[in-house]
Formats: sequence, structure tokens, C-alpha cells
Amino acid sequence: MTASRELKFESPSFIKRLKGMLGVDFYRLFHTPMFYIFLAIAAFIPALILGTTGMSNPDGTVSEPLYTNVWNAIAANTPLYVFEDMGGYANMNMVFIFGGIMVSIFIGHDYKSGYVKQLFTTHAKKQDYMMSKSLVCAFAMACMCITYLLGAVVAGALVGLDFSVNFGSPVIAIVSKMIMSLGWASLYTFLNVIFRKYFGVSIASSFLFGTGLPIIAIGMIVGNSAGSFLNIFLYGSSVYACLSANIVTLLVCLVVSVVWAILYNVFGSLILSKSDVY
Amino acid sequence: MNAVEIKGLTKNFGPKQAVSGLNMTVPAGAIYGFIGENGSGKSTTEKMICGLILPSGGSIKLYGKDYTDADVRARVGVLIEAPGCFPNMSVWNNMMLQASNLGIKNSETEVQKVLKMVRMEGAAGNKYKNCSLGMKQRIGIAMALLGDPVLLVLDEPLNGLDADGMRIMREVLTDITKDGKHTVIVSSHLLGELQKIATHYGIIRHGKMLCEMTAEELDANCRTYVALQTKDMNRTKALLACKYSRVEEDEAGYLRVYDAKSPEEIVTYLYENGMLINEIKTDKIGLEEYYIDLMNGGSSSAPAKQSHFPSKSKEER
Repeated sequence: MTASRELKFESPSFIKRLKGMLGVDFYRLFHTPMFYIFLAIAAFIPALILGTTGMSNPDGTVSEPLYTNVWNAIAANTPLYVFEDMGGYANMNMVFIFGGIMVSIFIGHDYKSGYVKQLFTTHAKKQDYMMSKSLVCAFAMACMCITYLLGAVVAGALVGLDFSVNFGSPVIAIVSKMIMSLGWASLYTFLNVIFRKYFGVSIASSFLFGTGLPIIAIGMIVGNSAGSFLNIFLYGSSVYACLSANIVTLLVCLVVSVVWAILYNVFGSLILSKSDVY
Repeated sequence: MNAVEIKGLTKNFGPKQAVSGLNMTVPAGAIYGFIGENGSGKSTTEKMICGLILPSGGSIKLYGKDYTDADVRARVGVLIEAPGCFPNMSVWNNMMLQASNLGIKNSETEVQKVLKMVRMEGAAGNKYKNCSLGMKQRIGIAMALLGDPVLLVLDEPLNGLDADGMRIMREVLTDITKDGKHTVIVSSHLLGELQKIATHYGIIRHGKMLCEMTAEELDANCRTYVALQTKDMNRTKALLACKYSRVEEDEAGYLRVYDAKSPEEIVTYLYENGMLINEIKTDKIGLEEYYIDLMNGGSSSAPAKQSHFPSKSKEER
């Protein structure tokens, strides 16, 4: 009994806990084929969009090119909260839809394998879990943005599209969209925490929110010109990060992404803390 | 100090009450055998101790601290049902991931050490999904041992183990509790195996603690009986039933007499009635029989009670 009285319990610091968990999640990310498959999918999307340019129709006519400028595969020229044809939708924002599915699979595997059980019986806290997943998945989605860009550039060059634009804008647009990955990853982590026991529902909800349909519906009511208030939402800001983006766009995306990431992390942690893990 | 102190623990799943006002005391340094039927609330209680499910009421203290405290949680090792491992990763990588989660320095050395303890060092490179059930259980124990836990909570760790695996498990558990610092809560349906290692017992039924006792108390509670064989077992049984209130035939073909004062008394009685005995011996019922008896009303054991142990470890005894 003397020995047991000498026991010392040390409280691991937040940094130590998060570092350990991030180490595990990054290791898993880089050692799962899923990550590389989604990177390839992200690269393949612009190739599909741009590859249709100039294709022959069955009646012998040549189809109208979707884009004549390669950067339009990244973002629209101006914010289009409501699009009139599929072309308006076919840009880098599609990465966030596929990213949502990737996050669902990544987190779903935590539960399926019993890893969360192993994790939450240790000193790990629920907010550590939310933060770690959000950060790692945001990184993965930012990587998908990069492979999307590479896919667009290569496909654009092969098809012979125009590359000439004011170069400052695409860079800010791309960086802004990459910043938005944090907000999107946090949303998907939050959704997957809510529906953790229902893998199918997790994927469906991630897909639904990823398409931005709720925001598009609001946009249809208020119209494109009056839609700037939609920028407070993740989909709105992602649309706002267009080719005419400037430093203000970047700052708006940064603030929106971080604020939503914090909100989703707080609510996700609360849900996890108030419910059974397994 | 008690390693675990539970008071009035309750867990409801909708209208169903899985655990109902459970009290439990596990002294530090003990190997606590947690016994109960399927659905009695063992796993639910263990999951609450481990922080996997939230109690609906009551309190859980680990080493005097609330069970949610990160500092005490860092020293709890757990194996509930099956280890939480990624099937496509190697055993080694799964162990290393858990070591990373626990923030263990010198993780490679530590992982090697625990794998060696459960004799699994040779299988470190195997993919987890290719391991047998027994190997997975041992990996689970190794994972629970990472980070020098002071409290181990093991739910059915003996499931799927062969005879050698069970021996290894017994050795590991008795070794780590030798110093009096480590405490183990272990639930199992293999009561014979449990009896070989447990220093304390808790028997749960319908979500309530039926009784808690030390191994010595169990020993004292387990009644002795006289077992005998004759050439005419039917007549012997009829004769004995006239004198003794409880006479049963066991699986080995012996007649058991539970309320005889001594074997000599039975020998004399049967001799007087013209019956010769082939073999006679005295024995004690084991944990399994004690448990079954208790579940059936407790006729051959001490009355069911809700007791609290003095803080006594195996070392002191």
C-alpha cells in the first residue's frame, strides 16, 4: 500500500496531447491509399471539365468549349452564388464536395476499427480529437486543391486553352480556397461526429453540405448581386474567392474559415462530451 | 487507497436500466475478478470506468480523483471487447500509434517491452487483420500495458486464448501486480482461470453488485463436501438422502454430501446399512460452483452481501 500512495499522476499538457494525436492522424493519412485516391480524383476533375473542350458531337459538329481560359476551371470571374448552368459550378469548389466524402471515410474508419475506443480511454480529450481531425483533413483538402490546380494546368495546356489573365487574382483565389479548407474540414468533422454511428448518413450529409445547396437556395432568393452577405457562410466565401479576388477576399476567407472552424470544434466537442463514445 | 471507488452508479439506455445503483471498491494492488451473467452490466460498468460511456448517475473515483481527470486517465490501460487497431496496419505500427497518442518517450523501446511481455515480439511485423483471435487479445493486453498504467481494465481478456496464452496472461497479470502499484479489473466467464489469479471478487447481477469479497473470504464461503463412490450408487443415494438434506451426483460420477460433519460419519452410516464405499474424499466447491450456486439462490455459500473490503492488496496478504 505504501507503494500505491507514492503514485504520481501528471497531467499531460494540451500541446503534448495534440502533438501525439496529430502525429497519429498524419501518419494514418499518409499511409492510407484513400488519401492518394482522392488526390488523383481532385486532379482528374479539371481534366474532365477541360477535356470536353472541342470534342466532336455525334452529328459532326464541335461542342462549345466550356471554358476558353484555363483559370475559369479554378474559379469564376466574379462571385456566382447562383449559377445558371453546370459550367458555373465546375471549378475548384468541387474539391470541397469530394473532400467531405474523404473526411467521412477517414473518421468512419476511426469508429469502425475501434480506434476511438482506444483513444478516449486515455487522457485524450474530445476537443483534441476535433482539432486534430479538422487540421489533418484541412491539410488533405488543401493538398487536393493543389492537385486540382495541377490537373487544370496540365489539361489546359494539352487542350490549348488560354492562360493569359491578371496573374495576381488566380493566386489569391487559390490561396483563399485553400484557406477555406479549414472551415470545410471542421464542418465535415462536426457532421461525422453527429452521425458517427451511421456511416451512410455521414457521407450523405457531407455531400449535401459540400454542394452548398442550402446556400445556393438562399442565393436564388436574394440573387447574385445581393448575395454578398452569403460570404459569412463557408460556401459563400468559397464562391467569393473568385478570379477577381483581392487581399480583402483573402482576409474574408481567413476570418470566415477560422470562425466556423472554432464554432464547429466547440459544438463538436460538446456533442462528444455529452454523449457515449462507443 | 482504493484504486476504484464507485458509488450509486447508474446507467440507463432509454427505458432500460443497465446498471442500477452499483457500489464497487477495488483496492490498489488487487486483481479484481468481475463476474456476472451476460447482460448483467459488467461491460457497461467497465466502459463507464474507462470513460467510454457516460453514467446516468453516481460517482466513479480512480485513485481518489474523478475518473475524467486527464492525469489519472493517462495511467489507465484498457482492453474492452477487442483492441482498437487498424486492420491493414502492422501490429508494430498500431502499437506505435497508441504510444504516440499516449505521448510516450522512447516509444520503440516501450513497444518492444510490452510485446515481449505478452510473447508477441515475433509477430510485430504481421498485419493486424492476419492475426488470430488469441494473438489479437494479447496485442490488446500489450496495448493496455503501454505507458505504465496503474489501473488495467480488461473485459474478457481470456477469450480466444489457448492454454499457453492463458498461462502467459496469468503470468503477466500476477507479475505486474506484484509491486502493489498496479491494479487489475478483469471480467471473464472462465471462472476457473480467474480463480487462479484474482485476489478480490465482485459479483454483479441485474446491474447491481450482489457481493464483493476477497479470495480468502471466497475460500471460507465455499463449502466443503464429501464425495464418494460405491458399487450401488442409486441405493447409496437413497440411503444418504434419508440422513442428509443435500445429496447430489456430480459430473464425475461421485455422490456429493454437503452437510456431513465428517467422512467418518458417512462411512459409519453406510457400513451400518450394508454399503461398502469404493472411494471417499473431501473437497471444496470452486468459484464456478459458488457462483452458480449464488445465482441460484446461494444455498451452498455465504449469504449474498454488499461488502467493502479493507484496503488490502495481494502483497499484504
